[in-house]
Amino acid sequence: MTAAAILEGPVTAGVSIRPLLEIDGVSHVYRSALGTETTALDGVSLSVARGEFVCLLGPSGCGKTTLLNMIAGFVTPSSGRITVDGETVRGPSPSRGVVFQDYSLFPWLTAGQNVAFGPRMAGQGPAARRQTARELLALVGLPDAADRYPAELSGGMKQRVAIARALATDPAVLLMDEPFAALDAMTRAALQRQLLAIHEARSKTVLFVTHNIAEAITLGDRVVVLSPHPGRVAADVTVDLPRPRRRTAPGFNALYAHLADAIGAETTE
Amino acid sequence: MAKAFFSRSAALGLAGTGGFLIAWEALSRSGLVSPVMLPAPSVVLRSGAALAETGELGAHLAASLWRAALGFAIGATLGVASGVAFARSDLLYGLFNPLVQVFRAIPSLAFVPLAIFWFGIGETSKIFLIAWGVFFPVWVNAFIGVRDVSQLFVRAGESLGASGWRMLIFVVLPAALPMILAGLRVSLSIAMVLLVAAELAGALHGVGYLIQVSQQVFRVDLMFVGLAALGLMGFAADLVFERAVRLLFPWYAARETGGRPARADDRRPMTSSLRGAPGA
Repeated sequence: MTAAAILEGPVTAGVSIRPLLEIDGVSHVYRSALGTETTALDGVSLSVARGEFVCLLGPSGCGKTTLLNMIAGFVTPSSGRITVDGETVRGPSPSRGVVFQDYSLFPWLTAGQNVAFGPRMAGQGPAARRQTARELLALVGLPDAADRYPAELSGGMKQRVAIARALATDPAVLLMDEPFAALDAMTRAALQRQLLAIHEARSKTVLFVTHNIAEAITLGDRVVVLSPHPGRVAADVTVDLPRPRRRTAPGFNALYAHLADAIGAETTE
Repeated sequence: MAKAFFSRSAALGLAGTGGFLIAWEALSRSGLVSPVMLPAPSVVLRSGAALAETGELGAHLAASLWRAALGFAIGATLGVASGVAFARSDLLYGLFNPLVQVFRAIPSLAFVPLAIFWFGIGETSKIFLIAWGVFFPVWVNAFIGVRDVSQLFVRAGESLGASGWRMLIFVVLPAALPMILAGLRVSLSIAMVLLVAAELAGALHGVGYLIQVSQQVFRVDLMFVGLAALGLMGFAADLVFERAVRLLFPWYAARETGGRPARADDRRPMTSSLRGAPGA
């Protein structure tokens, strides 16, 4: 019930609970080989509550992946601060699970061993981590895939294993970088449904990067629009449509048009 | 293997090899060329059998195999270890990379006279030469494999709690393994080249020595026996390597076929190197 309340109710600042993830005035400037400086992100601030599903929406080059990589700890901000659960991010950590856009499963490990990798690094014993892998593979709908190598799995199956792997360390937040972008429409819709089910079952906080407006509306409690050159928060919209959200549902198209405007208006500058 | 004889590629390979042998046999019996200079395959086979019966062929093969295996093992071990170390340590790389590049540029065959001068014509010079020749391609591949390891795998490992030596063992090395294996495979044939070069330059046993001595006593048939033995050795080494890889790294096979690990019967060669040894 509480999960449903979080899903449907707008989440606003000033709630008594401290947000799980706080991004405070984060900028990222990188220098090209020729020495020219480019500002990829410019003073981005954002907070995400525990259990919230936030989609980062924007065209390519808007810095949304850079922002995700900063939260993951792969990239250090040029200025500003990111805290998760009150702790400043200083590098990658198993408390922030990452699902990558490209297939990042270790090809030398079976699906089960891939999922068990995090627990293994944390020092969990073989029996316990096999059990973890079994449970999580079942959760993502692949109970029989444990002994198969990534090369033997389809694209959709690989991403489901990748989600299970990211969940295996029981992270505080799940960071997803266009994980379904390479999948066909049918598979993508199936994985979206499954991801929402997992989100509700485990009340995981999710930050989901996408350039697909419909995907953002389908998944997010909130959609944060980033504009490019430099990356800035252009809009922050709460999605209060009931789930499951179908494109034919009233309100979907209005929201779609609103978000398209938010992206389009900024890109023409 | 029995099943493979019925596959199309095996049948074609058999037909081609058989045709080649028949043509060779016919040419050598036709009187167009001297049968002494070009002994027929049947003659070579008989000479080989006779040599095997006395145990001499076995002794030569054993000597050569032992040298090649030991030299390969030493060169490969040092090559992988230092390649990985160079890729992981900027200091090591900065200090020694120019040196390694210069040494690498010298064809290893040029070291044959020096090695004999240093170590004599005994086992040491041969093993040294083989290890030397094997070292560089293995080193280069291990170095590049580790240095250019996919950032995606490293990031995935980091976000799952791997760091330091566990990152190296559980992520970087397996990710670099295809490159390392390719280096090892190339080195197999290099080991054969250096083996023969070292044995030709002076030895008391070995297949290279057999070829050398047979030339001096005008036994062309025995030279052919030596050549065929070398071809079969290389072919067998490649086969054993491939089988070992399949056994040790089943994921590598899965990656290749994109399906279940293939059975040995319907496998395809990982590369086309070292195929087509002379049939005998």
